[in-house]
Amino acid sequence: MGQTPSNVNDANQQGNQGNQENKDKAKDQQPAKKKWEPPLPTRIGKKKRKGPSSASKLPAIYPTTRCRLKLLKQERIKDYLLLEEEFIVNQERLRPEATREDRNEEDRSKVDDLRGSPMAVGTMEEIIDDDHAIISTASGPEHYVSIMSFVDKDLLEPGCQVLLHHKTQSIVGVLQDDADPLVNVMKLEKAPTESYADIGGLETQIQEIKESVELPLTHPELYEEMGIKPPKGVILYGVPGTGKTLLAKAVANQTSATFLRIVGSELIQKYLGDGPKLVRELFRVAEEHAPSIVFIDEIDAVGTKRYDSTSGGEREIQRTMLELLNQLDGFDTRGDVKVIMATNRIDSLDPALIRPGRIDRKIEFPLPDVKTKRHIFRLHTSRMSLSEDVDLEEFILTKDDLSGADIKAVCTEAGLLALRERRMRVTKADFTSAREKVLYSKKEGTPEGLYL
Amino acid sequence: MSKPQEFTIKVKADDPKKEEKPDDKPNFEGSSKLLKDSKEEGEELSEEDQQLKEQLEMLVERLKEKNTSLYRSALESLRTLIRTSTSSMTSVPKPLKFLRPHYPDLQALYETWDPSDDKSLFADILSVLAMTYSDTQPRGTLRYRLLSDALKPSDATLTDPGSWGHEYVRHLAAELGEEYNIREEDELEALPGTIDDLRALGKKCASFLTQHNAEHDAVDLLEELEIVNEIAQIVDENTYSRVCLYMLRCVNLLPPPDDISFLKTVHAIYVQYHKFPEALAVSIRLNDQELIREDFNAPGNPLMKRQLAFLLARAQIPLEWLQTPSEDNEDVDFTDELPEDLVECLSNSRLSTHFRDFGKEVGVADAKSLEDVYKSHLENTRPGTTANIDSARGNLAGTFVNAFVNAGFGNDKLMVEAEEGSSWIYKNKDHGMLSAAASLGLSLLWDTDIGLSHVDKYTYSSEENIKAGALLATGILNCGVRTEADAALALLGEYVENKSVPLKTSAIIGLGLAYAGSHRPDLADVLLPLVDSSNTLEVAGLAALALGFIFVGSENGDISSTILQTLMEKAEAEDKSLDEKWSRFLVLGLALLYLGLQDASDATIETLKAIEHPISKVAQVLVEACSFAGTGNVLRIQTMLHYCDDHIETAAKEAKDEEKKEGDSEAPKEENKEEGGKKEEEKEKENEKQDAMFQAFAVLGIALIAMGEDIGAEMSLRQFNHLMHYGDPIIRKSVPLAIGLISASNPQLPILDTLSRYSHDNDLAVALNAIFAMGLVGAGTNNARLAQMLRQLAGYYQKEADCLFMVRIAQGLVHMGKGTIGLNPFFSDRSIMSRPAVAGLLATLTAFTDAKGFVLDKSHWMLYFLTPSMYPRFLITLDEELNSFPVTVRVGQAIDVVGQAGKPRTISGFQTHQTPVRLGITERAELATEEWIPFAHVLEGFVLLQKNPGWESEEKMEV
Repeated sequence: MGQTPSNVNDANQQGNQGNQENKDKAKDQQPAKKKWEPPLPTRIGKKKRKGPSSASKLPAIYPTTRCRLKLLKQERIKDYLLLEEEFIVNQERLRPEATREDRNEEDRSKVDDLRGSPMAVGTMEEIIDDDHAIISTASGPEHYVSIMSFVDKDLLEPGCQVLLHHKTQSIVGVLQDDADPLVNVMKLEKAPTESYADIGGLETQIQEIKESVELPLTHPELYEEMGIKPPKGVILYGVPGTGKTLLAKAVANQTSATFLRIVGSELIQKYLGDGPKLVRELFRVAEEHAPSIVFIDEIDAVGTKRYDSTSGGEREIQRTMLELLNQLDGFDTRGDVKVIMATNRIDSLDPALIRPGRIDRKIEFPLPDVKTKRHIFRLHTSRMSLSEDVDLEEFILTKDDLSGADIKAVCTEAGLLALRERRMRVTKADFTSAREKVLYSKKEGTPEGLYL
Repeated sequence: MSKPQEFTIKVKADDPKKEEKPDDKPNFEGSSKLLKDSKEEGEELSEEDQQLKEQLEMLVERLKEKNTSLYRSALESLRTLIRTSTSSMTSVPKPLKFLRPHYPDLQALYETWDPSDDKSLFADILSVLAMTYSDTQPRGTLRYRLLSDALKPSDATLTDPGSWGHEYVRHLAAELGEEYNIREEDELEALPGTIDDLRALGKKCASFLTQHNAEHDAVDLLEELEIVNEIAQIVDENTYSRVCLYMLRCVNLLPPPDDISFLKTVHAIYVQYHKFPEALAVSIRLNDQELIREDFNAPGNPLMKRQLAFLLARAQIPLEWLQTPSEDNEDVDFTDELPEDLVECLSNSRLSTHFRDFGKEVGVADAKSLEDVYKSHLENTRPGTTANIDSARGNLAGTFVNAFVNAGFGNDKLMVEAEEGSSWIYKNKDHGMLSAAASLGLSLLWDTDIGLSHVDKYTYSSEENIKAGALLATGILNCGVRTEADAALALLGEYVENKSVPLKTSAIIGLGLAYAGSHRPDLADVLLPLVDSSNTLEVAGLAALALGFIFVGSENGDISSTILQTLMEKAEAEDKSLDEKWSRFLVLGLALLYLGLQDASDATIETLKAIEHPISKVAQVLVEACSFAGTGNVLRIQTMLHYCDDHIETAAKEAKDEEKKEGDSEAPKEENKEEGGKKEEEKEKENEKQDAMFQAFAVLGIALIAMGEDIGAEMSLRQFNHLMHYGDPIIRKSVPLAIGLISASNPQLPILDTLSRYSHDNDLAVALNAIFAMGLVGAGTNNARLAQMLRQLAGYYQKEADCLFMVRIAQGLVHMGKGTIGLNPFFSDRSIMSRPAVAGLLATLTAFTDAKGFVLDKSHWMLYFLTPSMYPRFLITLDEELNSFPVTVRVGQAIDVVGQAGKPRTISGFQTHQTPVRLGITERAELATEEWIPFAHVLEGFVLLQKNPGWESEEKMEV
């Protein structure tokens, strides 16, 4: 039929030139009328990769409130999908795949022929229009090459790796690289074993984190009904050892959402611009796998107050924080991404980070009160064999500033002491000496009684 | 109401976690000493909780005691404790949690009591307790609620379930629905109380829900109890609009009897609150003559009446429907009774002037030349082949492009403003002249005065084709407007009986277009005799189509029986003419009569089944598809898909191959027949086409049924994808048409991409239809991306005359009315389907099911079938004297706000303009200031404004 547009570069170029001449002539004849129009910007390479492709995507359903309308709409979609299934099953029965095989086979072998067997790998530098691009190869020069029609244009973007035909250098395929491997590491593959039950006390904190992180992901309609936007996330703060990380672990254990965890210090990178990039990647991955929860531990590593600094390193850290600020409440809206931050120095954080609209839910983790202490002691001693004379109340009621971690240390220490003496039970004496040891090491460094 | 229940279970799901803790404890209790002292604390309650628990336990104990006098106070304090407890979203209220272990005891206790007022109160409390307990006893809440109500003395007012809080009402609503369904199914009365009790309770819950911003729950509940019509008494003026909005959105998704009852209920509510335009829009949707008349006559305000008249004119409701039926007004002209200005509004007679003013205002009044549309200097053509091979084709394409692009403005350079004798008509040959002359009608669309005088001179032409074209033009320019003079009938009536076929058919189609949707009985008298089986099928088919246009969606018995009669007679006589290509229009005419009438067509379909001819199958498909047009009925789509399941063409081919093989063995006999065999084969091919034709219409049917409902429209695109993948050529070539129909004038990127892919298909017929569909999808949008795609296609197909012709037409469509006229058949916020518009689109697409036989052959004038669906997509604001009156409006993408809390914005990404403005198909407008109050509920088309008496300008406020 002669419809296939020629793939040979030369002919096309000639054609373009000839066309150019024609156009020039035409312009001479009617200079006023034929205004040059700028070509439409090409769409390829600019599309964000986001979710499934439009062809297989199902229509979005509004309203999100739970009501019959939503149910009906979902049922309607299901009906259509059933129809599709029925149709396809029927067709496959009437005319099984095998009969179409040869045709597909033919197409496939043709594409293989066009692709050629040795393929060079290059880097896409720039997309010129729908069929042409500039690429560079490791060997040196940059080339202006054509893009074969069978290449998935949605995958092309500047900077991606492409396969090149060995002779014509035209693009015959795209190598897909996934997200930054650094980010992939952050994804939590195995859920931690700690659950809410392992947390002593902290009931109000658990409730708050549930309401502001878990519930928006599982029941977004509750917030919609109220007509409010759910909070973006929470910041957990409190003195060391009060269970901030433990609570985050419990959230990770409980949720089915993607859980990304990162430590603030990881965001500080060797090269300029790498830190902010990592933050961007992190949130991009989070959005791709939405609903997701991002947990940033020790946020004070990057989130300290800004000040004039001459050190390049300091400035880089501050830029990393600026990127974080932008990701939290910037121009793009993040959908189902919730952020949990943890720090024990909330006073040193930049006020922009915890302003309303970013992370404005602050959850304080206080030192445990008597009741909580009792609970924590019980949690930690539940697997230990205690001797009869141990009366935990005694430890619980002391006025020492024991945090959850300290209590754990006391129990462990007591167990170790018992182990040293090869006893099968932990005695009261063990606990007393363990407590003293822990308290001593806690106060180490601060000269006792200096200010008294 | 299964959803809410899920939620309540969810709440409970959190609970056991907390209670697991005590269960865990026994493991270590034995080993650790400290548990001894904490044993009585059990769950480690804070002091407050402990106190509460003790208090509750004490109250329960008191109920168990014999002393009846204490019951009352115990129950009362229980009630206050439960009511005043607050809780978080994630956990169960404390009192309920603590009372949980006592629940079975209380239940047993309840049974021992004698009926009394106290018992009723007790039941009330048990009902609340049952809420956290629904896993062990189904519908306990409802059970005790009903018991409690039953125990009340008949004169006492029932307790308001709302007093127990929102969650309780929701829970109760869920159980009500469940119970009702169970009773419907097996009539087992497990719970006390009758259905009426259930309903009474349901109404109470509903009124609570509507007052608490959960109007959707209220509607859902009443729908489940099958008393949705009673919502009219529940709503008040704060809530009715939200209720109506929700109900209207549901209509498309409901199974048949419910959707009508929903619409009727909404109508009742609107009437109750004097929202006439909204009510009228619903009546138009219902297509109920009486309701429309009542709504139109209801308001006393003459301005409001005018606004309603504009709405009726847009919907092209027959004037006669507004007439009060009485015995002796047969000869009294109804229009005389109405004030003149109302008639003017009703008959759309100022559409043309307003449209031209609008054109001037948005700066597109100047005529566009062909080159302005083609922009061929941007085309990517190769050198050497630039010469147009078929200049006649090119000129013909030019005719249509010129007509579509300059439609309605009446100032195009080629036809209207051409100098005497140098008119574009004479650059066309034979049948091309017909279309060229008819294009005059499109150019002068809606302009009944000047238009007729322009066309008039061609009616005296000696050339038959020009004369026929002029007749068609007369019909076209009267499309959608009514005149007192009734010029179309007067001019065209006489030619209907003309001997010359072109004159005759043009006159018939002209009448059809001019009076589309008017339901005028006098036209039936003129056209009906032509459908008779004595006429050729061409005349009969086109006459049937014209009747279909005029009586679209009227279920006119005379016409349908005549068409059926013709079909039957021809089929019985084994008349070969039924195999002709024109037969599809005969059945299309029949189908259009039932457009949107749903089940009303059952009898006709049954009758059609009796006819033994392939055309009967086509007719069945078409009638079915038409009657469910725009409903989104999934079952019908399923039947349509079933029609597409078979592979008729390939099956027949295989059969023939086998026959041939058998034939080969008997070769000696056949040899001399070889010559004749070939001819036979060709004929057979024709027949096969006839056999499979119904599949083409089934594909169109999917689009026709699914359109107007967003989810269906989107999902059907996926079906089309599969059809394209598996289907036979006949199915494949109708798929692009269906896509064009479903998203007319709504160019969305995925659709454009799909069509662009199809436009390069190996099968030229598919490509051709895809190109035309691109034109439909972009009709009147000036979409730049689409225009570029088409230019690229023009370069690609420069050697294929047919395809190039179609590319040109598509380009013309994209720039239709210079971007001011759209083809989408839905209006008034895409809620009402204009039947004549659908008829127009469908007729055009029918012509394209055999593009080679009609549009690419001599019947290219069939492109003018699009005229009834052409309507300017403008917003013009009018003052009280019906003069255009500029105000500022905001125009932006429409957002679906149903079911959202508060008063969310209805448009996004808006820009502020001065009226008149043009509106895209998914766009919506709202007034920028509150200085004026619009009469219409949707700002679209003509909108009357009234000064807001309470408005003060900001400047004044500052002073």
